[in-house]
Amino acid sequence: MLDKIRYFILRALRNMRQWPFLCSASILTMAIALAIVATFFLIVVNVEQLASRWTREIQVIAYLQKPVATQNLAALTKKLKSFPEVESVNYVSPVDAMQRFKKHLGADASLLEGVNPKLLPASFELGLYSAYRNQQGIVRVIEQLEMSLDVDDLRYGQKWLKRFNDFVHMLRFIGIVLGGFLLFAALFIVSNTIKLTLYARRDELEIMALVGATMRFIKIPFMLEGAIQGLLGGLLALAFLALSFVFVISRSLSSFWLTPTDFNLLFLTMNQQVVLVAAGVILGVLGSLSSLRRFVRI
Amino acid sequence: MIQLYNVSKKYGSDSAAAVKNLTLQVGKGEFLYITGASGAGKTTLLRMLYAAEKPTRGQILIDRQNVSRIRSRQIPFLRRKIGVVFQDFKLLQSRTVYENVAFALEAQGKKRYEVSKKVYQVLKEVGLEHRLQRKPLELSGGEQQRIAIARALVVDPLILLADEPSGNLDQEVTFEIMDLFKRANARGTTILLATHDHSLNQRFPRRVLTLDQGELVGDQQPLHL
Repeated sequence: MLDKIRYFILRALRNMRQWPFLCSASILTMAIALAIVATFFLIVVNVEQLASRWTREIQVIAYLQKPVATQNLAALTKKLKSFPEVESVNYVSPVDAMQRFKKHLGADASLLEGVNPKLLPASFELGLYSAYRNQQGIVRVIEQLEMSLDVDDLRYGQKWLKRFNDFVHMLRFIGIVLGGFLLFAALFIVSNTIKLTLYARRDELEIMALVGATMRFIKIPFMLEGAIQGLLGGLLALAFLALSFVFVISRSLSSFWLTPTDFNLLFLTMNQQVVLVAAGVILGVLGSLSSLRRFVRI
Repeated sequence: MIQLYNVSKKYGSDSAAAVKNLTLQVGKGEFLYITGASGAGKTTLLRMLYAAEKPTRGQILIDRQNVSRIRSRQIPFLRRKIGVVFQDFKLLQSRTVYENVAFALEAQGKKRYEVSKKVYQVLKEVGLEHRLQRKPLELSGGEQQRIAIARALVVDPLILLADEPSGNLDQEVTFEIMDLFKRANARGTTILLATHDHSLNQRFPRRVLTLDQGELVGDQQPLHL
């Protein structure tokens, strides 16, 4: 048994040495295909991360018809905080509002001198948990708000939110379509490259069958070869991604206006890196197997 | 050793039969020529014997095994009893002489020390023991055919099938090759040699089957045997 395993591994390695061009073509094709899919994955993940940061600013502001009496404030705040979607509650009294306004005006604050602070409405600012920073979450908060408060007006960046929602939906759609397309193209290219490399070796396959090699005996070295090539292709793709990530993308993007200063670009997690390399191995094995069936007829 | 009963082979439903109603028996240790013009069905007959083609009709028995109904899983084990030699040698150009011959034994899962011993033996027999590490293309046509014969013989086959083995070789080399076949035959291997070279039969008279458009038109025993 050990003798056989040893033979199969040696056979696979010797085959790779005997066909250096075909072998490197397969490895490179797999590396490129995997790198393209992984790059695309990284782009989607990072854009989504960036987008979810923008929603941090989302809050619901409820302008009240009347300021809240001091003795009721604590109870009301507690009630609002009990909404499952609400993360933080901030009461802005007319006086607070006037102060903010003044601060906003800066040097021109003197314009407000003599203005009655009570002119400005009191409001509640509700911060939401990230999972609810979307249209549905906000609608639910508003429904609950209107039942518990005398709300004069509500502000939550309606237009912006709608545009943002459309953007996220489009991003997901493009992600799925393009990602699926890329994955399909990668599979197609890899399986065709392997088919070509096997085509170049069809004599060998024919002779193997002729001298009484069983299907298993023919398949195993090719599968191993595919696995080794896939492993190397996966590692190569990972190395390429890591290097280009460190030296090109994160450096050039960090000075780019799109990314805030405290924004860290995401790279593949450890698990995702393992998945990438494993995908290479699986791609190699399946590619070899599916192509072998075409060339070996016993 | 080999029995055929009413064997026919058509490659397409509306094409003419490549082999028609062939019935014949070949005994153990026999040596016979299969002759006929190109397209007479010689190659098809040989291909059916090593199960590369299935007959459209009829039964083929090899060593009491019904080849016409063989399962694909059993084909490798049938082929281990049969050595095949071709006009174009079918050697692996990227491998050495030694590896080409060892391949047949490795495919059968033989141990390494067995393989090297056997390969050296058989290469010595065909006179190529000094060319172990050469690649086939560095050798002459006659030498390449001898490698192919060594590969066929290294597994001690019950039957050796040769399809125009001398088609690419000159006469002197052809006779050397024939000597190898005769020696294998003397050790008990049944040999079927497809050829249209009548000089072989004149020099080494043996039983001759003649095919014409897929039909058996002659089955002659040599006069002086």
